[in-house]
Amino acid sequence: MLPVSDFKKRQNREKKHTGGVKVKLMVMISVAATLLFFTQLVFANGLATDGQKIAKVEEEIQNLESENTILRVEIAKKSSLVSLSKKAAEDGFKKPSLVITP
Amino acid sequence: MQIIFFIVAAVIIFRLFYWQFLAKNSFGSDAFLIESEIPASRGEILASDGFPLVTNQESFLIYAKPHELKKNPQEIAQSLAPFLISEKFTTDSARLSDSDKEQMKDEIKNKEKELQGKLADKNLFWVQLARKITLETKKKVEEKKIPGIGFVQDERRFYPEASMAAQLLGFVAFDKVGRDTGYFGLEGFWDRKLRGKPGRLGQEQDPLGLPILVGQYRPIPAKQGSSLYLSIERGIQFMVEDKLRKAVEKYGAKDGTVIVADPKSGKILSMATIPTYDPVLRSEFDESLYKNPAVADTFEPGSIFKPIVMAAALDTKSVEPNTKCNICSGPRQVAGFEISTWNKKYHPDSTMTEVIQNSDNVGMTFVAEKLGVKNFLSYIEKFGFGRQTGIDLQEESTGFLRPDEEWKQIDLFTASFGQGIAVTPIQLIQAISVIANHGLLISPKVVEKVEDEKSEEEIKPKQEIQVVSPETALQVTEMMVNAVEKGEARFFAPKGYRIAGKTGTAQIPIAGHYDPAKTIASFIGFAPADDPKFVMLVRFSQPSSSPFGSETAAPTFFEIAKELFIHFGIPPEK
Repeated sequence: MLPVSDFKKRQNREKKHTGGVKVKLMVMISVAATLLFFTQLVFANGLATDGQKIAKVEEEIQNLESENTILRVEIAKKSSLVSLSKKAAEDGFKKPSLVITP
Repeated sequence: MQIIFFIVAAVIIFRLFYWQFLAKNSFGSDAFLIESEIPASRGEILASDGFPLVTNQESFLIYAKPHELKKNPQEIAQSLAPFLISEKFTTDSARLSDSDKEQMKDEIKNKEKELQGKLADKNLFWVQLARKITLETKKKVEEKKIPGIGFVQDERRFYPEASMAAQLLGFVAFDKVGRDTGYFGLEGFWDRKLRGKPGRLGQEQDPLGLPILVGQYRPIPAKQGSSLYLSIERGIQFMVEDKLRKAVEKYGAKDGTVIVADPKSGKILSMATIPTYDPVLRSEFDESLYKNPAVADTFEPGSIFKPIVMAAALDTKSVEPNTKCNICSGPRQVAGFEISTWNKKYHPDSTMTEVIQNSDNVGMTFVAEKLGVKNFLSYIEKFGFGRQTGIDLQEESTGFLRPDEEWKQIDLFTASFGQGIAVTPIQLIQAISVIANHGLLISPKVVEKVEDEKSEEEIKPKQEIQVVSPETALQVTEMMVNAVEKGEARFFAPKGYRIAGKTGTAQIPIAGHYDPAKTIASFIGFAPADDPKFVMLVRFSQPSSSPFGSETAAPTFFEIAKELFIHFGIPPEK
């Protein structure tokens, strides 16, 4: 014959044991979720400022490219044969009358 | 404390709710997803020394937001109009005559009206006022500090050497939908390579316009346009244009064209036409100037065609250099027409060398008769007449040859001295290069290399064909050398150089007959004859000082040749 009292005790003991695991698990998940939440916050915060940085870098690149274009045009303008021949004529240069070929 | 905490939390939640649901609707569902085009820079066009003949410079689109304008549209139009008229008037270097100043006033008035109409329309959220304005103009407009006026960055073509090789280069203008498109010359032919491929930027942005990196960020980079490296030698092009400009003025010609090429590779070293146009102010010039006559014009070549016919006759062994012409003692009657020499002087029993030297039309009919129609047509086709040479310029034409079955004896005879057929200057350069290059035809080209960000492609000639034997080429070369040394133009030839050449004076056909007063004077040749470094054609339309090629085109040819000898470091023979 199965003693009823023993069965109840065993059931209570098992119940107590299972309840402890669940609580621990819940606590761990909560801690992990909280950690992940804050990690995301930190990263999101970082990314938000990175967007600003990228915008700045892109603006800087555009400015430099624009300056390069202006300088390239200026160099081409000044070193063109049209400008050089004009300048040479103004400064009194003349075509050589005697040419020595190799 | 708890109450304060809850109030702050409630405010934050409400604000977030507002931005997510309420404010979003006012901007539209994709308010922060920006889909924009990343423009591709157009490729450069560079001379053989790597110097840009065409590059890009910053330019701007100027726009207005009429609902944001604080001032009266008329007042704004008045202050903007002087900056947005033709650059002919607005550049600092512009020297304006009195009539130009009057024209400028009219242009400003018209521009004011146009701008006022655009600015007064308050229904418009955004309106474009002008495109491709320069950085200087932008700065001047900015100084006016007009609210509601803005700029969008763009690019436009810049020509460091101004109008140099304008017809060769072509230009960029808007197509039907307002995109930059190349027209004529290299810009037209190589448009797809030059324009590149615009990219797309799909990016989420915050209300301040900064990119949200955790959002969708998927840019497709733009593919910049490829750059073209030309065989054009900048120094030669500059010198040729200078000499040609002076010659056109000196001989009172309607126009002049010069092509200089390397006969061994088909590379074009210079291609110039006077008059030309300024690509920046092209709308101020007649549209007929846009086409490059060196490849687009067809004309009857006259006597410069004789060496081609002679080469065909020698190659088929129809004649030998010392074959004597037994019909050269006087004019020849054919099918009711009289064929005579250009100076009415006749040379009985001339050899073939002398026929070329005297530019004898009757002698050429003797050659043509020996050659026959079938051989004649076969050879001129092999020399590349009647079809495009394949040069990489957009507006090349084919010339004109009548259909084979329509050729009669009189047509063959007139064609033997370059009448009754229409050719292009570049076809003549290609054909004479065959003589200079031991009988081998190499098709001409302007672009040597196409280069993009990742790769470069060498451009090879489209065809290489042995047209006549090297012996024939040598025989014709000697005939052309003899023509220079003993012909009409011998006084202009530089001493100490063996130059192979031939003069040409062709009448211009008008409504079924030839205009006796109008001619096309030309000279074609190559030098040094034994190892040619260049082949050159000089052509003048309707020179007024003298109708003859020997007195106009030939001196210009030799003037340019002297400079080319120095350029290539070729000393005279002792």
